[in-house]
Amino acid sequence: MSMILDHVNYIYGQGTPLETKALDDICLQIPHGQFVGIIGHTGSGKSTLMQHMNGLLKASSGHIYFNGEDIYDKDYNMKKLRSKVGLVFQYPEHQLFEIDVFSDVCFGPKNLGLDKKETELRAFDALRKVGLPMELYYQSPFDLSGGQKRRVAIAGVLAMNPEVLILDEPTAGLDPKGRDEILCQIKQLQTDTGMTVLLVSHSMEDVAEYVDRIIVMNKGRVLYDDEPKTVFAHYKELEAVGLAAPQVTYILHELRARGLAVDVNATTIEEAADTVYAALGKVRRK
Amino acid sequence: MGIVRTQDLTFEYIRRDEEGNVEGITTAVDKVSLDIAQGEFIAILGHNGSGKSTLAKHINAILNPTEGTVWVDGMDTSDEERVWDIRRTAGMVFQNPDNQIIGQVVEEDVGFGPENMGVPTKEIWERVEESLKAVGMYEYRKHSPNKLSGGQKQRVSIAGVLAMHPKCIVLDEPTAMLDPKGRKEVIRAIRALNQVEEITVILITHYMEEIIHADKVFVMDSGRIVMDGTPREIFSQVEKLKSLRLDVPQATLLGYELQRRGVRLPSGLLTAEELADALGQSLGAE
Amino acid sequence: MLRDITLGQYYQTESVIHRLDPRVKLGGTLLYIVSLFVFGHFLGYAVAALFLAMVIRLSHVPFRFMVKGMKAILFLMLITVGFNLFLTPGEELVSLWKLSVTREGVRTAVNMAVRLVMLVIGSSVMTLTTTPNNLTDGMERMLGPLRVFRVPVHEVAMMMSIALRFIPILMEETDKIMKAQTARGADFEGGNIVQRAKALVPLLVPLFISAFRRANDLAMAMEARCYRGGEGRTKMKPLVYEGRDKIAYLCILLYLAAGIGAGYLGRFLGI
Repeated sequence: MSMILDHVNYIYGQGTPLETKALDDICLQIPHGQFVGIIGHTGSGKSTLMQHMNGLLKASSGHIYFNGEDIYDKDYNMKKLRSKVGLVFQYPEHQLFEIDVFSDVCFGPKNLGLDKKETELRAFDALRKVGLPMELYYQSPFDLSGGQKRRVAIAGVLAMNPEVLILDEPTAGLDPKGRDEILCQIKQLQTDTGMTVLLVSHSMEDVAEYVDRIIVMNKGRVLYDDEPKTVFAHYKELEAVGLAAPQVTYILHELRARGLAVDVNATTIEEAADTVYAALGKVRRK
Repeated sequence: MGIVRTQDLTFEYIRRDEEGNVEGITTAVDKVSLDIAQGEFIAILGHNGSGKSTLAKHINAILNPTEGTVWVDGMDTSDEERVWDIRRTAGMVFQNPDNQIIGQVVEEDVGFGPENMGVPTKEIWERVEESLKAVGMYEYRKHSPNKLSGGQKQRVSIAGVLAMHPKCIVLDEPTAMLDPKGRKEVIRAIRALNQVEEITVILITHYMEEIIHADKVFVMDSGRIVMDGTPREIFSQVEKLKSLRLDVPQATLLGYELQRRGVRLPSGLLTAEELADALGQSLGAE
Repeated sequence: MLRDITLGQYYQTESVIHRLDPRVKLGGTLLYIVSLFVFGHFLGYAVAALFLAMVIRLSHVPFRFMVKGMKAILFLMLITVGFNLFLTPGEELVSLWKLSVTREGVRTAVNMAVRLVMLVIGSSVMTLTTTPNNLTDGMERMLGPLRVFRVPVHEVAMMMSIALRFIPILMEETDKIMKAQTARGADFEGGNIVQRAKALVPLLVPLFISAFRRANDLAMAMEARCYRGGEGRTKMKPLVYEGRDKIAYLCILLYLAAGIGAGYLGRFLGI
């Protein structure tokens, strides 16, 4: 139960002078149940990568295996892959189109050819999972607030019962609380269902708290692929490619530079406060 | 009297159901009074739906108050004869860079405002040149806006307003749709306008790091101004900000967490350096 | 497929053609198109092709950008050629089942194809070398006299230039929505006509909503920048004829004369 990308290349505009390598020799293995952050700035190839994972884009060369099957095999069922690997695009609320929230969420399962009962069960389940209040189920999706619309759109993908959920910038444009709420909900979902979640983002801060692993993309290549603290240790290199480690990392390095024996690998505020507090204690004891 | 002043500004709109019957009245802005001095850098914070955008649109006379008055450079915005003078005095930059660029070429877009104002051709060119230089986009003057990054597009939008020689610029979440790199570019450009050109800046945002340098911060919630003060004063109140669906910079948050653990620190530390200094002093004092 | 349309896509580079007054280019293109139907002799076409080649050369726009525009009308062209080839009565050359290819048919079909190709490439040269804003400026000026008849010339020109600006944006958006709905299992390719039309709903509804939202935002942004119609506006790039424009007009006239002359010459020589 995993996804393997084996030397995947994607060349954009092949044969024209605008030819660019959007993905350059990507090798990745994503085991089931992991929570992965994919970080990179605009144009780093992270969105392209994401679209390869459910077959919306086809690699120029290389192979992608999902649950042991080569998705580029002639008789491979792409539609099935798309139901197994759910993709939530940036600003997903812009794809809502039905007259009410519930019908919109039914769109995915209906396309899978499920019967009415199963479709509706799944829609209910998905809406419950994203924490949308029941009284909004039969409202027009266009009357909801920005954060609510986004939940509906995510539910629309969840209703297809994917094994892997990929979200592109799910927090874009939301206020701080809205950002936290959505990310918490996704984390909850991942713990409850054991689903694999890939969170595409350009903010380290957003993902640092939630993910088990960070893949940093730059110019179509995988720059780093490791657990968060190991990736953030490269904060200087990250900066060189226009990315930044979470602010905490900078603060801790600043404190370390001033002679305070803090553990610079802390990634969350909680951890940072603990290590600073401990370091202060040591100084006092001396 | 300041460049922008409001007195009991209230804006209400009528909600209607599907048959057009009045369902109720929503007060988007509720008795807001503020006075902004020429040359200040003002930030307005608030979660989505707190009324900050509605307030901003009053300064440009896009909306007119239901009750109360708004003066821009001494002109009452409800005075229809002065609308165009008001709009050239207080320029406005919106959230989505794609939806505010009119020209097909960067320089043509920047010239759009002066053209509308009836500025003579030769002077338009001078204004376009100086505006593009002020935001660091002069070398892109012949480019198509579609080929620019989000941050670059937003800088073009700012130049477009700048070319109208406003005394004040209102920016309504100009960085909400940008990646961290684009956000930095835009904030740098905005600070330069304020410091070099001495233009009054009213920046609406929900990114906390962007307002550290503001002279004054207003925090809005359900149409009212619920907090106001310097960034330091505002960010000292971590709990209150959180209850308003907002956040504080990570350095501030770390300082707050340490305070809670009993470390003696001043409140409202804004940057890593400040935090490090304060910790040093706190150790020295013992 | 949609992305292959070059019309309205400005190709940014420096050239004499780029710098010409849009009125020259508009007028020239119009005359060129008319000339393709007036010449009516292959020597005339040869002159037209030569002229076009020269202009393309001068424009510094790579030739493949012009050809890109052809793809969009390929289907139309095949139909036209097909109809002419099989349905023109006259001296029979080959007979296929009930259809027959005639000498006259071949001649008209070739004629038609050559004209269409040059027409499309010719207009592509204009749109590739003129910014849409410039183009609409030119149209606004050329159609200016119609204002007397209460034709809202400025408004129409402004609308066109905005439409042109948003074509690439909306196309990108279409692509994105299509992908997003495909990810939710939508199928835009399979099925019969009714199913296909139905499949478009999840694409068209969001697209319309987005277009309206953008229109709304843009209107607000334009007003915020003091836009209030054509009255009292000045121009950043006013249209003034310069030396090169006069030379260009002269070239067009010379071309017309050469083309017509070549036609007479051809008929005189009996080829």
